[in-house]
Amino acid sequence: MSSSNEEEDVGPSVDSNDMEERIAARRIRIAKRADAARKALLGEDLNELKEVKEEISKSRKQIEDSRLRLTKLRKDGFELVSNIRVAGDAREAARRTIEEEAKRHRKEKLESEAKSAAERFDEITKKWESALQKEVPQSLHEMLLQQKRSCDSMNDEKNKLITDFQQDLKAKDDLYVKDLKKMAEDIDLMIERMNEQVDNLSKGQREELEEIERAFVAERNELLEVQRKKWEEKMAFRYEKEEENLVSRARRVDDFEQQLQHLRVQDAEEYNMVKIRLETDVQILEQQLQQMRATYQLNQEKLEYNFQVLKKRDDENTITKSQQKRKITRLQDVLNALRQKLAKQEKSYKDENTQLSEDYKRITEQFHDLQRKSKHFLATDAKKFHDIWCMNEEELKGLLKEVLEVDRVIHEQQLGLPPEQPDLSFTENVGPLVNSQKSSGASASQILHEVMSNQTGSEADAGEDAAPATIYSRISAHTIKQILELLCDEAGFLVEQKLNKLLAPLEKDERSLMKLDNIFSALGLETEEDIHKLSTYFMNIRDKKEVDRQKSLESNMELNAEGEPAPEEDEADNEIRMMMDEAEDADELGDIPSDCVDLIHPNEVLKALRAFVEDTRKGAKQGGGKAQFHLSSLEDRDDSLDSEYWNKYATLLNAKKERLWDALIEALEKYNEVLHSRSTLLSETEALRQQNAELRLLLHQYVNSKVNAELEIPPTRVLQLELNPN
Amino acid sequence: MSENQEPPPTVSEGGEEKATTEGDPPAGSKAPSRSVSVTSDKSQISGKRSLEDVVPDEDAQEDRVGDWRNMRRIIAEDPEWSLATVPLLNELVVKHIVTNFENNSEVLKSLLSKHQKAVLEKISVDLPLKVTALLVEDEGFWQRCCKARWEICDVSAYGGSWKRMYMEKNLQQIIELFVPETTKPDQLEETLALSSNFINKLDIRQLLPPVREAPKGPDFDDISDAGSEAGDEPECDHFSFGPVLPKLPFLQELHLTYGVKDCGMNFEWNLFQFTSRDCLQLSQCVAACKTLKVFHLHKSKVDDDKVRVLISHILDHPGLVELDLSHNIISDRGARAVGKFLNNHSQLVRLNLCDNQIRVAGAQAIAHALTKNNLLQFLNLRLNRLGDEGGQAISRALLKNRTLVEVNLGSNDLAEPSAAILSQVVMQNQVLRSIDLSCNRLGPDGGKQLQEGMEDNSTVILMDLRLTECGQESEYCINQILHRNQEADREKRIKDSESVNALYKKSNIEPQAAHRFNLPPTAIIA
Repeated sequence: MSSSNEEEDVGPSVDSNDMEERIAARRIRIAKRADAARKALLGEDLNELKEVKEEISKSRKQIEDSRLRLTKLRKDGFELVSNIRVAGDAREAARRTIEEEAKRHRKEKLESEAKSAAERFDEITKKWESALQKEVPQSLHEMLLQQKRSCDSMNDEKNKLITDFQQDLKAKDDLYVKDLKKMAEDIDLMIERMNEQVDNLSKGQREELEEIERAFVAERNELLEVQRKKWEEKMAFRYEKEEENLVSRARRVDDFEQQLQHLRVQDAEEYNMVKIRLETDVQILEQQLQQMRATYQLNQEKLEYNFQVLKKRDDENTITKSQQKRKITRLQDVLNALRQKLAKQEKSYKDENTQLSEDYKRITEQFHDLQRKSKHFLATDAKKFHDIWCMNEEELKGLLKEVLEVDRVIHEQQLGLPPEQPDLSFTENVGPLVNSQKSSGASASQILHEVMSNQTGSEADAGEDAAPATIYSRISAHTIKQILELLCDEAGFLVEQKLNKLLAPLEKDERSLMKLDNIFSALGLETEEDIHKLSTYFMNIRDKKEVDRQKSLESNMELNAEGEPAPEEDEADNEIRMMMDEAEDADELGDIPSDCVDLIHPNEVLKALRAFVEDTRKGAKQGGGKAQFHLSSLEDRDDSLDSEYWNKYATLLNAKKERLWDALIEALEKYNEVLHSRSTLLSETEALRQQNAELRLLLHQYVNSKVNAELEIPPTRVLQLELNPN
Repeated sequence: MSENQEPPPTVSEGGEEKATTEGDPPAGSKAPSRSVSVTSDKSQISGKRSLEDVVPDEDAQEDRVGDWRNMRRIIAEDPEWSLATVPLLNELVVKHIVTNFENNSEVLKSLLSKHQKAVLEKISVDLPLKVTALLVEDEGFWQRCCKARWEICDVSAYGGSWKRMYMEKNLQQIIELFVPETTKPDQLEETLALSSNFINKLDIRQLLPPVREAPKGPDFDDISDAGSEAGDEPECDHFSFGPVLPKLPFLQELHLTYGVKDCGMNFEWNLFQFTSRDCLQLSQCVAACKTLKVFHLHKSKVDDDKVRVLISHILDHPGLVELDLSHNIISDRGARAVGKFLNNHSQLVRLNLCDNQIRVAGAQAIAHALTKNNLLQFLNLRLNRLGDEGGQAISRALLKNRTLVEVNLGSNDLAEPSAAILSQVVMQNQVLRSIDLSCNRLGPDGGKQLQEGMEDNSTVILMDLRLTECGQESEYCINQILHRNQEADREKRIKDSESVNALYKKSNIEPQAAHRFNLPPTAIIA
């Protein structure tokens, strides 16, 4: 009991006494623990986590701190409040142990008492038996008294026990009351502490809330500050920008205003000008209007006058019209009469016409007949002429051949000289001589071929051939070629499109050749002469001298052509002279090569062509009329050359040769005599030789006969011995 | 005031009137005709204002313009005249419904919702339950009822439902005041019939015994006490739950105390008598009530026999999760029964045997049961008499058990050996989170051992070592470890709940930086 009391007394006092210290101690301890825990949480966990945490704003840190502090507070408070319960529990437990002990004690006491009482009771009951045996009243009385005493004592003991227990009970009651009081106090205390705790907690929470809010506010303020600064910077920047913009805008506005002003002034000026101009225009127009009005007036009067005149004329016209009408009717009658007459006449003329046409038919038939006949005769005549000519020619040729053969034989055999080869070109002619000019000039296309093919060939070749020589003699080959190329390039339009296509795959030279061929045919070029003519058109007109020279050259050429049948010496001379001329030409030109100078500009090719074509066409027209009914008659033949031709045969053996031949005859006659004598002599020798051979044969027969073999000494051996005696 | 002369006569009149009202009450020549009108009041007000303000021109003008119409509407000689608007017919009807609600309550359902609301706001809280119980769902009404009847109303204890609170409290009150054999069961039955669907929990603080000897003098002596104590008759039964519990289909919690509150000086032992018949009836009821989850039987002098009766009835009860038999007189045999109950014959998660008289044998029985049990999470054996041996037994059981989360062995006369075993427990057991060892004489050595054990532990977050004489140093060390464990636990819970609260977080976009410390609802920090 006392201990419990002590505890009761001490319990709260200790609590209350120690509370402050204990709270303080716990605070420190908890702070340490919190630090340790935080270190354990942060420091040990991971450094990076710490860094992350550090980055976390202080508001969060504040929240963490506050949480820790509040949990601490709550725990403390809970401990504080539950301390009372624990103390109560402890007390109760202690009380129970004590109570248990006391109970056990009491029980023991009771048991011992009960035992002793039972013993006593036994004793007493035993005594009762002994008492019953007692018959002496005194002793019985004594006994009874004794019994009573012992009973009393037992009762006393019991009573004592009872009183003890009652005292205990009372004490317990007191204790109970005290406990109740204590409990009430405890409860009060607990309530007080709870209230305190609630207060503390709410205070703490409020404080922490304030702290957190403060932290948040601080953070917010910082953030605000930062953001405000940023904002201000931005605003300043914007302000500057805006100012700039304003200034620039003002400048622009000024500019625009100036421009506007300028434009306005300009416009005003322009406007004034325009106005003035328009006003003048108006004036002029008004003047014109006036004039027009005047003319109008004039015209009106005129027209009126005209109108009057016309009216009158109209009247006149009506009159004349009626007259004419009348006339027309009259004339109509005449016309009808005339028509009838015309019909009649037409009929008569028709008959006449048919008659005449029949006559014409007849006559034409007759004419055709005549023509046929004449043709026939012409042909026969020609044939006859040709035959005769051929015959004569053949005869002559045979004679000539004989003569020449003879001459050759004479020269070779008799004179021992190399035979002098006369010109026998004319002998190649068979049949009557036709147009000598034509035969002399090579065809244009041939020349063309030559030129184009010989462009790379040597000049020596050209010089050997007779036909090309003629053309080269006049104009250098190169020039001709250039001209032709020019023509080919410039006069491409003359070539047919089809041909162009066909020519595409060919070589250049061939192509140009074909083209030129085509062009020539288009231009009507046929002969070498034509080409020359053409080339003259292409040559630049040089100075007069040159032209003259050219002319002389041409005359030369004509001469050349005329003197073709002339002897070869002349021809050679001519050729030499031509060459000289060429050389002269070259000399005259000087340094400049002859072939590249005298060409016209390509642009003028067309003009030249046109001129050439016009010139040639004139000629063609002149000759064109006859060509239709041209009959190649013998009369037409050019017989000027015939005599010459025949003379050629005659003159082939000239007087010199005749003299030579006379002399030869004489000599040969002499020689013939010699030869005759020799032939007689030769026949004699021949006879002798024959006799000799006959003799030899006989000898041989003798020698080789069988008889010889039978002979002792054959004649042969004799002969041998005779022959070889030595 | 010069402007007053220019406007039309009415205005000038107003100005004049103002002028008069400024000076003296409207008892002048013109006043009587207008005394009733509102304008006079208003002009008075404006007059006052004009008195207050030095330059009232603007106000005066405004008022004049505002009052112009009113000033024109002057009806003379009508003392009844009032501009107060006539109430709407709606309101009148609502008023009528409210006054006659008791007689015709069915009309409520046919009303528009806003009128319903209006009616519910106005009907009296004293209406009989039979009218309102089934009809009214409105929480506001029930809140009014509760507040009118009880001072302290903690709605959170009733799942936030005022109606449930009212119903439960009402029924509790009826049962608490029910005196068997004298009170007529009419009211109880009526209330039961009406409120059975809303009752989830019954917390009955007292049960009155039947009044047999009516005038039992309070000033009897000790003998009477003894007599009453001895008068332990079977007739002395309390209120029987037999007819009540089957009528409550949704009952989940039942808290009982067979005793009388506030008996004061009328104390009698038999007021606190829990008779065996009571026990039998109660046991049968509880066994029959399959919905029951929580059963508390406090301060009812439940002894071994009664516990055995109770346990034998509720053996293999399908729903019972929590059993609280604290503050009784259960000793070893009862503890053995409880042990049997625990030993795979129950769904019990929470067991409270605080303040009983269980000793070594009982402790051993419970310890044995603990080794077999794999459901129990909370065990409270505070203020028993286990002694060191009992403590050892329980501690050894803790070595094997892997479900117990919280154990309270406070005030059990434990000593060093228990502490030694407990240190092992702390080392090995990863489930245990809270151990209460207060008021045991563990001594400094025990404290050291516990400290050693705790150093290897990371799960225990609560260990009460008050008044265990285990030395300040070890207590300090252990506290530090506990703090560490608490912090770790908190972190873990935050982490766990992050996934759970991901959705919550998504839906609530939180302001700025606080999200890390703004804990989601599941992480409630102890």
